[in-house]
Amino acid sequence: MQSLDPRVNRLPIPESWGELRAKTPLDQLETYEVFHQAKPDKAFEHAGIVHAPNDDMAFLFGKEQYSRRGNTCSGIWTVATHKVMVTPYTEGDTSLYDLFEGEQQHAAQTEAYEIFHLKKRGKQHVHAGTVQASSYDDALAVAQATLNDGKMVYNAWVIKSSDFFKSNAEDVDMWNTLYEKKYREAIDYRAQDKINQFKEEQNLQNHG
Amino acid sequence: MDNLALKELLYKMADDQLILGHRNSEWTGMGPILEEDIAFSSMAQDKVGQSQQLYILLNQLGEAEPDTVAFMRNAEQFHNCQLVELPNGEYDFSLIRHFLFDHAEWLRFEALSNSSYEPLAQLARKYKGEIKYHLIHANTWIKQLGNANEETLARLKQSLHELAPYALGIFEPSPYETQLISEGIFIGEEALKARWIESVNAILAQTALGAFNWSASNAILGGRQGKHSKHLQPLLDEMSEVFKMDPTADW
Amino acid sequence: MYGGGNTFEAQQMGGVENEDPIKLAEFEARIARGEKIEPNDWMPALYRKQLIRMIEQHAHSEIIGALPEGTWITRAPGFKRKLALMAKVQDEVGHAQLLYSAAETLGKPREKMIDDLLSGKSKYSNIFNYPTFTWADSCFISWLVDAGAIVNQLANSKGSYGPYCRALERICAEESFHLKYGHHCVIHMATGTPRQRKMMQEALNRWWGPMMHFFGPPDKASVHTEILVKWKVKMATNDECRQQFLDMYVPKIWELGLNIPDPNLKKNPETGEWEYTEPDWEEFKRVINGDGPCNAERLAVRRVAEERGAWVRKALLKPEAAYTTPLA
Repeated sequence: MQSLDPRVNRLPIPESWGELRAKTPLDQLETYEVFHQAKPDKAFEHAGIVHAPNDDMAFLFGKEQYSRRGNTCSGIWTVATHKVMVTPYTEGDTSLYDLFEGEQQHAAQTEAYEIFHLKKRGKQHVHAGTVQASSYDDALAVAQATLNDGKMVYNAWVIKSSDFFKSNAEDVDMWNTLYEKKYREAIDYRAQDKINQFKEEQNLQNHG
Repeated sequence: MDNLALKELLYKMADDQLILGHRNSEWTGMGPILEEDIAFSSMAQDKVGQSQQLYILLNQLGEAEPDTVAFMRNAEQFHNCQLVELPNGEYDFSLIRHFLFDHAEWLRFEALSNSSYEPLAQLARKYKGEIKYHLIHANTWIKQLGNANEETLARLKQSLHELAPYALGIFEPSPYETQLISEGIFIGEEALKARWIESVNAILAQTALGAFNWSASNAILGGRQGKHSKHLQPLLDEMSEVFKMDPTADW
Repeated sequence: MYGGGNTFEAQQMGGVENEDPIKLAEFEARIARGEKIEPNDWMPALYRKQLIRMIEQHAHSEIIGALPEGTWITRAPGFKRKLALMAKVQDEVGHAQLLYSAAETLGKPREKMIDDLLSGKSKYSNIFNYPTFTWADSCFISWLVDAGAIVNQLANSKGSYGPYCRALERICAEESFHLKYGHHCVIHMATGTPRQRKMMQEALNRWWGPMMHFFGPPDKASVHTEILVKWKVKMATNDECRQQFLDMYVPKIWELGLNIPDPNLKKNPETGEWEYTEPDWEEFKRVINGDGPCNAERLAVRRVAEERGAWVRKALLKPEAAYTTPLA
């Protein structure tokens, strides 16, 4: 195969192909949910997923897929999708916490859980806070008591803090040069002057 | 100050970053997994961007414009080590090169962040975070694949053996070593190499590959003086194909 | 980047006869209120199937769309263009990733989607089956194919499926850079040296036909059209998108002194509609069905990329890994 693309001409493309075999399950690995923090005083927000084999690589992939564009980033969290406990969704003007009837356990042994709220359908889940609890249900009960500001919450994600991979505060310099990468920004491509100059020259040629 | 020594240092760094960034960008759209395709492309962009900034420093020292310097020279005028100009091979080859080069790059920039030549020191400090990600990326991959299975181990081993002599070529001494060291501009290639061996072996030792015996490998030199493999000139011809159609045109 | 051209509807599929009428009414009421449908919500089978098909084709178009422009990554003239093109093509790969993720929330794993791309079962935007002969072709794509894609994507981003809308919002934001970058390139070519100008004009001559194909043939009302419009799956007709594109970009092409190779192209002052020569729809069908200048190459490159990466993915996979449908 002769291509116009020199990169393609360097690829080992065979003369003929064997039969196409369907991909095995998990050929694309499992999924991780990625959360992005634009600035230190902003809450972490769900950005999307990456396919990755483990936490370390989910971070490597999530960082470039979800924080390479835009001017600032101060942190990335990732967690395996199956470690997220999702509550039912509510409707209209019924908040999740109006329906939830769990009791706080006040157990002696607790650990930290991160709570994410969906405050408007169609938007992203946003970090509401961290609670100490003895189980997912307990975490939701504590959230109901401490993170419920009376505004609408249509859905919550409850995730153990220890299940997250969180970027380190001292590594925030990884995003230091983001704002310099102007070549990725529309604002760096102004050329109206060139158009105006061209039109002027055309006019001179036509009428001069 | 005699700028010859400084210029030699800047040229070889800039040329290394440009050529490796160019090579790595060939993977864009063809990576082994979508997410890695994106990550690898970012690092290629970072390298090309860093080379541009280094050419700007050279420009301030009286050399030609970055575009002219990058797109108009021939292979024998390039000072990159031969490691960076080799074709990409399979992903193991590109990853091992990325790992070996980026450790040297990280340590070089770290040393230069204390350089007596302040513009270079500033630049080295600025890119510290960017290169930190490159290093974490390389280490994570090597540890992952270096402990995975027989096939990956065989592939990594083969690529490491092929690339080792070229990697040692990164540290080909400059004619100005003593001057650079005595003026506090740079710690010198010998000192850098010692740090590098320690640094890469610390990671390799955490894999089934084990620490590498670098003293048994003979460095492939010449790149710093413009002696290159057969691969560099075709790379440059391709890179400058459009630019050279009319070097005075504004593209 | 994506056109409207080849999202064929699930013709063989039944409509809504077998759906629970109460749930269906709730679902339709939600859409009528302007609320988004989320992955966990009840949805009719036809809705799910049509969205998977549409988002998947969009994702394929991104990953294949990275190839014709990727051709010029190693040859972009000068630092500014080199960095921009690397970032632009990277974005297209990133968009594929985002869109596959959105389609996955509907229950089709990424493995299956890639299989269907490689086997030719699933289509991608026809325009990427044409070759980029010179640097000017890549400039044309960056500006005008992306412009067309944005027209299409902005319409779809007002649709009803939450994950797709969120992916499209991010994609459109990123593509504002592509559009400006592409325009910048074309401006420099068109107002540059005689040789640059000639290159640009020739590229425009080559790409105008495929560009007119890009939005797809005039819509024929099919059995499901009405319901897909009601469900905010189909947001604009192919002709509406084409008209919008012509209205926004023909004047910008003309102001650069470039000639569009269609003597009949003009805006009818009475209707406000653009009139043009119908592009060759037979060619469009032929290319979609596999017989275009680059179909074989595009799929071969994707297949080689998948096969070369197989050992890497296999090595990464943990035995205890389990697939979970992504959440949002």
